Amino acid sequence: MSGEEYQKSVLDRVSDLFIELLAKLIDRVRPGWYERNRSKVSEWKLMAYALNRSPPGVIGLILVLAFIFVGIFGPIIAPFSYRYFAIYDAPGSDLAQPGTVVVTKDNRTLYFPLGTDHFGRDLLSLLLQGARTSLVISIITIALGVPFGIILGLVAGYYGGKVDELIMRITDIFLAFPALILAIAFAAVLPERIHEVLQSNAWLRDFFLWLFALDQKDAGILSRPLAVILALIIVWWPGYARIVRGSTLSARENLYVEAARAVGLSNRTIMFKHILPNIIGPVLVYITLDFGGIVLMEAGLSFLGLGAVPPIADWGRIVYDGSQYFPRAWWLIFIPGLVVILSALGWNLLGDALRDILDPKTRRSIEFKLKKRRREE
Amino acid sequence: MAELKKFLIRRMLTFIPTVIGVTLITFMIAYVIPADPARAWAGGEKASQKAIELIRQRYHMDEPWYAQYWFLVTSLAKGELIDPRTHNPVMYDIMKRFPVTIELALFSFVFILIIGIPLGIISAIKKDSIIDTFVRFFALTGVSTPVFWLGYLLIYVFFVMFRVINIVGKPPDPAVVITGIPIIDALLIGDFKTVNQHVARYWLPGFVLGFMGAGVLARFVRNSFLEALSSDYIEFLKAKGVPKLRLWRHALKNALVPIVTVLGLQFGGLLSGTPITETVFSLPGMGRYAIQSIQNIDFPAIVAVTFLFAIIYVTANLIVDILYAIIDPRVRY
Repeated sequence: MSGEEYQKSVLDRVSDLFIELLAKLIDRVRPGWYERNRSKVSEWKLMAYALNRSPPGVIGLILVLAFIFVGIFGPIIAPFSYRYFAIYDAPGSDLAQPGTVVVTKDNRTLYFPLGTDHFGRDLLSLLLQGARTSLVISIITIALGVPFGIILGLVAGYYGGKVDELIMRITDIFLAFPALILAIAFAAVLPERIHEVLQSNAWLRDFFLWLFALDQKDAGILSRPLAVILALIIVWWPGYARIVRGSTLSARENLYVEAARAVGLSNRTIMFKHILPNIIGPVLVYITLDFGGIVLMEAGLSFLGLGAVPPIADWGRIVYDGSQYFPRAWWLIFIPGLVVILSALGWNLLGDALRDILDPKTRRSIEFKLKKRRREE
Repeated sequence: MAELKKFLIRRMLTFIPTVIGVTLITFMIAYVIPADPARAWAGGEKASQKAIELIRQRYHMDEPWYAQYWFLVTSLAKGELIDPRTHNPVMYDIMKRFPVTIELALFSFVFILIIGIPLGIISAIKKDSIIDTFVRFFALTGVSTPVFWLGYLLIYVFFVMFRVINIVGKPPDPAVVITGIPIIDALLIGDFKTVNQHVARYWLPGFVLGFMGAGVLARFVRNSFLEALSSDYIEFLKAKGVPKLRLWRHALKNALVPIVTVLGLQFGGLLSGTPITETVFSLPGMGRYAIQSIQNIDFPAIVAVTFLFAIIYVTANLIVDILYAIIDPRVRY
C-alpha cells in the first residue's frame, strides 16, 4: 500500500509532507520508530485525506490554527501593549471609533484600526493579547482536566464493582450542577486562595505571568484567571470520566483484553496500553469540541465579571466593559464577540469533521475512492 | 408495571446520595471563601468588634467545619438561612426571583421546540440537500455563539433600531396566583393584557437563550428520524405501498421518544445560560441574583442559589428519566 497509487490533491500533498515531517521527528527522538510504525503513518495520512475532503473540516482546521497562532504570537505582533492607555497621551482617545487616527500631545500619530476601549486602549491589541488568555486557559483546562477524567473513567470501568460505584456517584454529584453555575461559584471563591499560593511561590507567579504574557505589575490580579482555570477543570472532568467509563466497560469484554490478562500483564499496562488506545477516538472528538466550549464558557465567565479583570485583556471582559457604553460603543461588543464565535466555531467544525473521520467506515471509503480514480485513468 | 416500580425505586435511591453530595459541594464553596465576610457584612473597616462577633456567632463561623456544615444544611432545609445583606431569609429572596427564571426557561423551551423539531424533520427528509447543510451549520453556529453577543446584537436590532421590544423592568403579575408562574396564571384567568406584556418582555431573551439548543435539537431529531426511517418496520410499510406521509408519521412517533432525554440535558444548558441572559436583558432572575451575591461576597446567598440550581436540574433529570421509562419500556433494565 504505497502512497503513489492515489490521485492526490494539493492539500493531500501538504498533509503528507507534514505527517512525514512529524514521523521523521519522532524517529529522531526514538530511533527505529518509523520503521516499526509504517502502517500507523499511512493510517494518519488516510485520516488527513478524509479531512481534506470535508470543506467544513478544513475551514475548522484553518480557524483553529489561526486561533493557536494568534494565541502564541498575538501579544508579540500587537501594535500596542495591553497596558498602553492612550488616554493619558491623547485626551479624547477613549471609546474611539474603528479607524480613528489620534495625534498625541508629543505629536505622534496613533492609528486604531478597531477603535479603543474606555481607557483608550487599542481594541486590536487587546484582542490579540486576549487570544493568549483564552488559549492558555483552554489548554491548561484540557491538559489537566481530561487526563484526570480519563484515569477515573478507566479505573471505574475496568475494575467495576464498589470502585465503579464510588467514582460514578462522585461524578454524578458534579454533573448535578448546571456547568456554568458551578464554574461561577468556584471562580468566585477561589481567587483569594490562589493569591496566597502565588505570593509564596515567586517562580510559579513568574511562570504564569510569562504564560499569559503579562506585565509584572499585574501579578496581583493573576489569581483571577487561574481561578477560572481551576473552576473549569472542576466542571470539565466528570464528563470525561463518564464517557471513558462507558467505553471501557464495553472494551474490557474484548478478546485482546482477555489475552493480555492471560499473558499476565499488569492491570495498569492493560488499561493504558491496550484499552485506552482503542477508546481514545471518541475522546479526541470530545476534546476538540470542548476546546470550543471552554473558549465560550471562559468568555461567559469573564463577561459576568469573574476571571480576568482589566488591565488583563480578555475577550469576555472587553464585552462586559463595553456593554456599559452600549449601543454607542458597538465595536467593543460585536468585534470581540465575533472573535469568540470564530474561535469556538473553528473547534466545533473540526470536531464535527473528526467525528466522521475517526469512524473507520468513512476512512475505508476514502481509500476506495482514491484507488478507484487511479484505475479509471 | 412491577418492573416500572422497581426502576422508580432504584432511580429514587440514587437521587438521595446525589442531593447529599450536592449539599457537600455547595458547603465546600462556602468554606473556601477565605476573606473575612463577617467584617464586610458588618460594614467594612469601621465595623465594631461587637457587630462582627455577633455575625460570626450567628453564622457559626468559629465552629469546626462539620458544625458549620450541619448549620448550613439544617437552616437551608428549614428556610431559615438569613441573607446578611437584605436581612430576609435567603429562600424568600430567591423565590421572588424564581418565576422570572422559570418563565425565561419556558420561553426558550418553546423556541427550542418550534425551531428544532421542524428543522430536524425537514433536514432528515431532504438529507444531504442545502437545507441539511444549513441545519448542520446552524447547529454548529448555535453552540459557538456566546449568549451575550447574540443578546446585544438582537437588542440592537429590535430595541435600538426598531423599538419593538421592552427591555426594562419586570412586567406586572396577574391578579390571581395559581401556579406561581405569572404568564401561565395570566393565561388561566384570561388576562391577555398581562400575557402580552410578558411576551413582549420575555420573547427575545427566550429566543437568545434557546438559540443554542435549537440547533442541537434539530441535529438530534434529524439523526433520530433518519435512523427510524431506515428501520425494518418502515421497510415493511414501504413494501406494502404505504404513502410517504403516513410512513413519516410512523417513523416520527418512534424518533421523537429519545428527544425527551435531549430536552432534559438541554435544560441544564438553559439553566447555565440564565446568568448571562438575565445580565444582558437585565431580568431580575435567579442567575442575576447569583452574580449579585458573588459581587457582595454574600455566601449564604451564593450557597443557596447554587444549591437550588442543582436541585432544579437534578429533579428535572429525575422527571425525564421517569418519563422516558414510562414512554419506552425498554429502558427499565
